[in-house]
Amino acid sequence: MLVYFLRRLALAVIVLLGLTVVTFLMIHLVPGDPVQQTLGNRATPQAIAAVREQLGLNRSLPAQFWTFLSNTVTGNLGHSLTLNAPVGEIVGQRIAPSALLIGYGLLVSMVVGVPLAIIAALRPNGIVDNGIRLLTTFAFAMPSFWLGLMLALIFGLWLKWFPVSGYETGIGGILRTLTLPAITLGLSLATIVVRTLRSSLLEVLQTEYIEAARSRGLSERRVVIKHALRNAGMATVTVMSVNVGFLIGGTVVVEAVFQVPGVGSLLLQSVQRRDYELVQALALLAGAAVVLISLATDLIQAAIDPRVRLAGR
Amino acid sequence: MRRSPIAIAGALSLAFGISACGGGSGGSNVSTASLKDTSGGAVAADCQGTPVKGGTLVYERQAETQSLDPITLRNGNGDIFATELVYNGLVRSDPTGKTDNLEPGIADKWEVSKDGKTYTFHIRPGIKFSNGQPVTAADVKFSLDRFGDPKINEVMGSVSTGYDTTTVVDDSTVKVTLKEPVAAFLYNISIFPAFIVPKNLVEKEGAAFFKHPVGTGPYMVKEFVRGSHITFERNPNYWEAGKPYLDSVRFNFAADSNSRMLAVKNGDAQIADGVPFSQINSLNADTSLKVQSAKVPLFLGMWLNHARAPLADQNVRQAMQYALNRDEINKGIFRGVGTIPNSVLPGLKYDSTNAELPPYAYDLAKAKALMAKSKFPDGFSTTLQYPAGYDYYKQLGLLMQQQYAAIGIKVKLIEEDGAEGTDRFDSRDYDMTFPYAQFTSDVVVPDEYAQFIADTRNGLHGFFSNWSDPKITKMVQEFAATPDETQRAQMWPEIQKAMLEVTPVINVMDVPYVSVHGKSVCDTAINALGADHLEDTWISATPKN
Repeated sequence: MLVYFLRRLALAVIVLLGLTVVTFLMIHLVPGDPVQQTLGNRATPQAIAAVREQLGLNRSLPAQFWTFLSNTVTGNLGHSLTLNAPVGEIVGQRIAPSALLIGYGLLVSMVVGVPLAIIAALRPNGIVDNGIRLLTTFAFAMPSFWLGLMLALIFGLWLKWFPVSGYETGIGGILRTLTLPAITLGLSLATIVVRTLRSSLLEVLQTEYIEAARSRGLSERRVVIKHALRNAGMATVTVMSVNVGFLIGGTVVVEAVFQVPGVGSLLLQSVQRRDYELVQALALLAGAAVVLISLATDLIQAAIDPRVRLAGR
Repeated sequence: MRRSPIAIAGALSLAFGISACGGGSGGSNVSTASLKDTSGGAVAADCQGTPVKGGTLVYERQAETQSLDPITLRNGNGDIFATELVYNGLVRSDPTGKTDNLEPGIADKWEVSKDGKTYTFHIRPGIKFSNGQPVTAADVKFSLDRFGDPKINEVMGSVSTGYDTTTVVDDSTVKVTLKEPVAAFLYNISIFPAFIVPKNLVEKEGAAFFKHPVGTGPYMVKEFVRGSHITFERNPNYWEAGKPYLDSVRFNFAADSNSRMLAVKNGDAQIADGVPFSQINSLNADTSLKVQSAKVPLFLGMWLNHARAPLADQNVRQAMQYALNRDEINKGIFRGVGTIPNSVLPGLKYDSTNAELPPYAYDLAKAKALMAKSKFPDGFSTTLQYPAGYDYYKQLGLLMQQQYAAIGIKVKLIEEDGAEGTDRFDSRDYDMTFPYAQFTSDVVVPDEYAQFIADTRNGLHGFFSNWSDPKITKMVQEFAATPDETQRAQMWPEIQKAMLEVTPVINVMDVPYVSVHGKSVCDTAINALGADHLEDTWISATPKN
């Protein structure tokens, strides 16, 4: 187990390092000068040159990368040029709404997805199963900005159950303001939950141990929930962990539609303004989140299922 | 806005009409920001009677506030519109927006020396910062020296050109000396980089001061949450007696235009700016809302690169002016709120009226004749860049492509991310471009833009157009150094006419700021530069929105 863990950890570090290099190169190589973007067209060339000098942007790319890397390792994420504040401070203020949104979105996808998958698996290819397939495909195909707007129109403007946009803190505030964004984010993921869980449930339901359980006279409900779901759930958990990256990406759009002051909208804005340090820090954080979650999933699976860690040898 | 269920058509147009910013104004080219109620003025009834004190105004803003330091702007209008509530300059642009004249601000009077190089300002007696501390001559000197220091004034160095020094004469008088006469000086110090800040606090706290700044404006900052909102509360020490009326003002930052419109429709907010042109008609149809357009110096400036042979040919450029069917563009894309310009620059002070100087009228025959006379009678191929993320630029590009094809100009459209577009603009690597999504003048007088384009001393290569014309350069330099307003008002129309004829760049359309208001909001005002003045604003009790 320890060997397995160390190997996975080493891989995670390599992935993060690769991600750092790619992000750094991408944002530095696309045209668009951060100083020009920040100071605007009224700034004198001297002022622009002075700020470039001050930020070290006139140094070679490897030298800039080395500074970024060594600062990051020591926990210094740099200084945002466009927001004129330390990156750590800015991200600290904006991470909670995004984390809550992602968590809430995951919850929505489970709450919606798991029951639908069970219903669909119990009567495969019937009217209900096909109906669920149609609905979830429809939800998946809808662009999230459109789905978000429709939810805001229906539940905000017409029914007045929720505000159309904004963000409030506290449990009540979070429920009020993050419910519609979380549904927007969670619905498309729910499709994935339904599809994977349904197919693995179908598979599991035909195995011998399920037949044995049925022959012991257990109720269908007990067979499905207690026996089948546990085994079938493994695949879904893996797929979900892979899709956390999808959720993180989804926050960029959803946060903009609902005015949630999270890191997704911050990332969009920092790319547009070529705020190098902020883009690098945010990409690194998002990457780290994905890598950590996939690491945690692997470890949990390895702990539960010996075949996983043995296969890794 | 609308509170009853929306028709499907309205909902769909709302859902799909994603856009970005406002633009385009009506009326003549006289540069005033007087508000125009495009929905027909049926809303005034709610605002009759005496203004009442109290209440909170929630304002959905397209541009986020990122810096409250008026000299270190980080996000254009997002910062400017917030600092305008908090600070004042020595002088200010007419806050009602009815004229583009200057009026007293922190200084209640001033004198200008005959040579136009010395200005003596008298500080308004009894004026205080929001913390109760009096405004002194030392504060004014400190603030103006910041304005004049290129190391501090990084963003707006161009408006402090010519500033030399400020001397404290006594506690309430300062003398400002210029290196050379700058005719636009008073206009230049009426805007944000010259706002007055308290010397002692800025020196003591440095950058931290601007997180909870103290100024003389009608409101002071109560809470500033990055990426979310900023809340202002009434300044009890504000110098205009009895004002402001509102207890507080909250700006919500909402980059997405649909969520801004929804918030006003839902009554969560009372004003939203940056109304997408595509939604003007549907919003106008809603009787619970008023759509307002304010004339500001905002234009759709298409820059031409004179290093490209066809675009260096004046016949071609004039043909391109005549070939533009601006009426069609205005009605089709801007729902008629745009103004057809009689200048290559945005509408500015001293501009001729259309009667004195008519705009280029759509005339395909004339355009074809000019092309035939040019060095490119068979037409040519070129490219047009425009900023990505704005549906109206995309539509405009397509329409212009079609209109130019009629005179043999094949235009390839290039949609470009904003930062990339400005980069190529600055390095003069383009044929034709709309370099900025929001292309506005910072001052109401033409000096800034005329000098950007025509004053070769600034090293901007004709504001990155590679254009120069010694005759016009001389006219502009003389204009910018003539302090006498009457003389300037006579000089500018000549320059405007000469530039329109030569057409170094093409102003496709003047566009206003378009905002939508709930009916309960009364007496809002926008000055000639587009900054909100909310000191007279009040909320009427009757309707909920």
